[in-house]
Amino acid sequence: MYKLILKLAWKNSFLRRSRTLLVIIMIAVSMSMMLAIEGIYDGMVENMVDKNKRSDSGDISIFAKEYRINKDLAYMIKNADEIKAQIENMQGAQAVVLRVKAEGLLSTARKSSFASVVGIDLQEEERFGKFSEFLKEGSIDLQKQGAIVGIELAKTLKVGVGSKVVFSTQDIRGEINSIALYVRAIVQTTNISLDNSAIFIDINQLHKFLGTDSKNAMQIAIRGEDKELYGKLKIAFANLDVKSFLELQPMIKQMQDLMIIFNSVTLLIVMGVVFIGIFGVMYVSILDRVREFGIMISVGMHYKYITIQIFLESIVIGVLGYLSGALLGAVLLTYLEHYGIDLSAFSDALATWGYEAVIYATIKTSYFTTTLGAIMAASIFSVIIPLRKIKKLNPIEVIKAEK
Amino acid sequence: MGKIVVVIFIFMAHLIGDEAHEIIKKLDENFRGKNIYMKLNMKIVSMGHERVMKMQSYSQGTKKSFVKIIYPPKDEGITFLSLDREMWQYVPKIERIIKIPPSMMLQKWMGSDITNDDMVKQSSIVEDYEPKIIKREGSVVTIELTPKENAPVVWGKITLNIDTTTYTSHKDIFYDEEGKEVRYFIYKDVKKVGNYYIPTYWMVQSSDTEGRYTEMILEEVEYDTKISEEYFTKSALKRFSK
Amino acid sequence: MFKLALKNILFYKGRSIATAVLTFVSTMLFILYISLQDGSHNSMLENSLKIYTGAIEIYRKDYRDIGGNEYLIQDVKVITDKLEKIDAIEEYSPRYETYGLLSNKEYSAASMVAGIEPNKERVLSSLKSALIEGSFLDDGSANCIYMGAELLKKLKLGIGDEVAFIGSASDGSFAADMLRVCGVFKTGSFEFDSSTSFVARSYFDELMNAKNRASYITLKLKNIEDADKVNEQIISMLDDENLESLTWKTLMKSMVEIMEIDSVFGYISLSLFMVVIFFVIMIYGFVNVSSRIKEFGVLRCIGLSKRNIFLLLFYEIALLSIFATLLATPIAAYICYYYNINPIVIDGIADMYKDYGIVSDEITFDYNLFTIGWNVGVIYLLNFLSILYPYMYINSFRPIEATRHV
Repeated sequence: MYKLILKLAWKNSFLRRSRTLLVIIMIAVSMSMMLAIEGIYDGMVENMVDKNKRSDSGDISIFAKEYRINKDLAYMIKNADEIKAQIENMQGAQAVVLRVKAEGLLSTARKSSFASVVGIDLQEEERFGKFSEFLKEGSIDLQKQGAIVGIELAKTLKVGVGSKVVFSTQDIRGEINSIALYVRAIVQTTNISLDNSAIFIDINQLHKFLGTDSKNAMQIAIRGEDKELYGKLKIAFANLDVKSFLELQPMIKQMQDLMIIFNSVTLLIVMGVVFIGIFGVMYVSILDRVREFGIMISVGMHYKYITIQIFLESIVIGVLGYLSGALLGAVLLTYLEHYGIDLSAFSDALATWGYEAVIYATIKTSYFTTTLGAIMAASIFSVIIPLRKIKKLNPIEVIKAEK
Repeated sequence: MGKIVVVIFIFMAHLIGDEAHEIIKKLDENFRGKNIYMKLNMKIVSMGHERVMKMQSYSQGTKKSFVKIIYPPKDEGITFLSLDREMWQYVPKIERIIKIPPSMMLQKWMGSDITNDDMVKQSSIVEDYEPKIIKREGSVVTIELTPKENAPVVWGKITLNIDTTTYTSHKDIFYDEEGKEVRYFIYKDVKKVGNYYIPTYWMVQSSDTEGRYTEMILEEVEYDTKISEEYFTKSALKRFSK
Repeated sequence: MFKLALKNILFYKGRSIATAVLTFVSTMLFILYISLQDGSHNSMLENSLKIYTGAIEIYRKDYRDIGGNEYLIQDVKVITDKLEKIDAIEEYSPRYETYGLLSNKEYSAASMVAGIEPNKERVLSSLKSALIEGSFLDDGSANCIYMGAELLKKLKLGIGDEVAFIGSASDGSFAADMLRVCGVFKTGSFEFDSSTSFVARSYFDELMNAKNRASYITLKLKNIEDADKVNEQIISMLDDENLESLTWKTLMKSMVEIMEIDSVFGYISLSLFMVVIFFVIMIYGFVNVSSRIKEFGVLRCIGLSKRNIFLLLFYEIALLSIFATLLATPIAAYICYYYNINPIVIDGIADMYKDYGIVSDEITFDYNLFTIGWNVGVIYLLNFLSILYPYMYINSFRPIEATRHV
């Protein structure tokens, strides 16, 4: 019996082929567009989050209590190396790095600019955030007073790979000290503050230059998605300043929230309109066949089966629309994931706000599942009103009714 | 045979190298003696404007120096002290001693073409550079200074034209890393003071800005007199301001 | 034909209502969306312009790139005399900016200290309204300094405290004095609040030897939209190739660009909605037409041409669209107008987006009849496009065939 109904539904769906096709195309086009837009927006934010985490804060960062307010050498985390080892053994911590930072003046023969020198361990940074992927020019190497410069800072000072620069700052004794550094690479992290002012050198070199204890550090950055880790760290290091990524970057948190709201509103509007579309078609197609249904009922078919048949029809359209939309959307998203949207015309502005010139889409399964749910809901709801109408009809009258 | 030539060559090169070191050292000594007191006039010319300042300067060795401004009246009594690589300034008008932060050290000193850093880092010519004689013309020797490996200096090289009869330079040229001229110093009117020779006219000019230069004329120079250690303490800033 | 169209509309109520409602909704959505987008961009701009940047600023060439005393405007009066003659300028003021060291005992910080004409700045900028403590400057306020809140914090100062200023005057000579903190401001831009402070020119000019000199001259126009026009006028009037006059579009290039990007994304999202609505209207039109195949067949048989049929469909959609837009446009326009004058206030927005230069909690709509006009135009166009396929569909039937269509 159900097989028959399914068959009927399938057949009926295509009785008015153009109409059904139009609805399917409508669903497909709007759905794929929606997915692409969602993917691009998410891609934009995620890229920013990802690069910020990788280049600087990780998922959690720890500082000495005063440090974030007063960036002075006096506020270092004591025995950071032991703390690091301790955290590495904690569950959920995937990678931990130590960083030493100092602010000062970076100069060439012609120009000088404020800069902050960041002492890093290349191998650990690689594990922590694939540092080498930020490379724009040159090669990642910090040996023999090598340095890696943020792209905007390099532009300001007009230096390139192979240039020599001099960094001056106050050391731990308060004396102004200078060090010659050789630019080996230029990096773009799209982390605005790093691109504008960071120069990376070997952490031990920096300790030596500043005269600081190599056990200490300004920042301990931790990668680890585990949500409990943050709480555990907060308890374990109550005397330090433990901050999660979103606490450090409230703006990004807000952007994420905004995107979720925006995407939901879009989904709601689009699905609302899709609902109206399916509704219109189903309504008309049911009214067209009122006589047919009348006959079916009078030959003894239970009303229930008609209901099922109509639901099935609507769902068939919805599913076909969804499938073609998903396919088209997947194609679009894959394209955007690989080639992205090129906004280099606005690259200056984008760089100012920490975006990349080419924006790549993200693909999430949730895009497809949410839309499936929404489209199914739209198709099912769209036949409820037409069905009510049929229920009210008297089969005999219907058959008699002249078309 | 070949070997001997090489050995002689290396020996010669060594000798020349040593000679260059010697010259630079003598030049440096001429500039500062054991200690030196100067009274100097500074004229800064920029875009048609001219400004004159007079000051007294006391310095000892390479690490300590004290400067007091005596003209114009508006700026009279401003004092500077540099010890090692730190620098302080005292302004009588506001009665405050202020430590010059590193970021200000590389700024132009009082609108001249000299940076604070120049004043503090005089010594580094001997410490940070490797001298080489590249030309001789009569008594004038041209020496090229290239930064020693990892020396924290910004210049690509410096050439000095030194008269070996007095061990004073008459022109220093500063180049950037790419070998382009950035600025030069010109020295004239060499005087003998005690055992030392010193040019009493100095001029600094940036190579790519015309009509803008800084001139200094030394009115008085005294070497190896007794300069009180008191000049090189922070309390001197205020005390000797008057 | 027109009458027939009218009759059809009344007869096929379902389709008519659906189409009209959809058109109504899309018109509203379109107008309000664009209005909100433009409105927020405008207010972003206005706020930034109000804070400190002028609609037009006049510089000596290279000041912006190199800076320093050599690139100051040396004879301000010559320029301002000329500016007096331009009617479109509401107010102008020469500012003298310099970087100096502010020092409070052991705490010191480099700051931009700007000499301003306080009374003119009340009109030119929102510096005064950014006041959070103490008082704004006066033309006569002597060594008063009006300081950014973050800078104040950095230097650990409070109202009434003294702070030493050391810098170099416009002639390169020494400038130093004790200033007194009279007022504190907060614009919401961290950068600005942590590195800027102001003093009255009347006092500062003495100290900096800056009479008749300026870093630049900032201008406020009666109507900001005239910026390009007035700028050309200024350039030709100044007739000095050592000077440059720049509009806010150049002065705030990165902000202008980010808004363009935002608009691009806005239009993309909007086009998604439009596409969906277009499809639905088309489907309704199509469903309607396909149920009328027989009718069209008859019409054709009694001698109506294809053109007539097209006209019929055209009239139908045109009437529906006109009806819907006539209803929607005034409502939407009124909403825009209303919220343009009375912006929606959501507390805390400024806090959230201060890094983007948003400094007020207001959400403003833009009210621009031209924009509304073209928005409505687009809706019409879409609606007309939506009858093309149904029309082609009917034409695919031969008249006789159509009359028999079930």
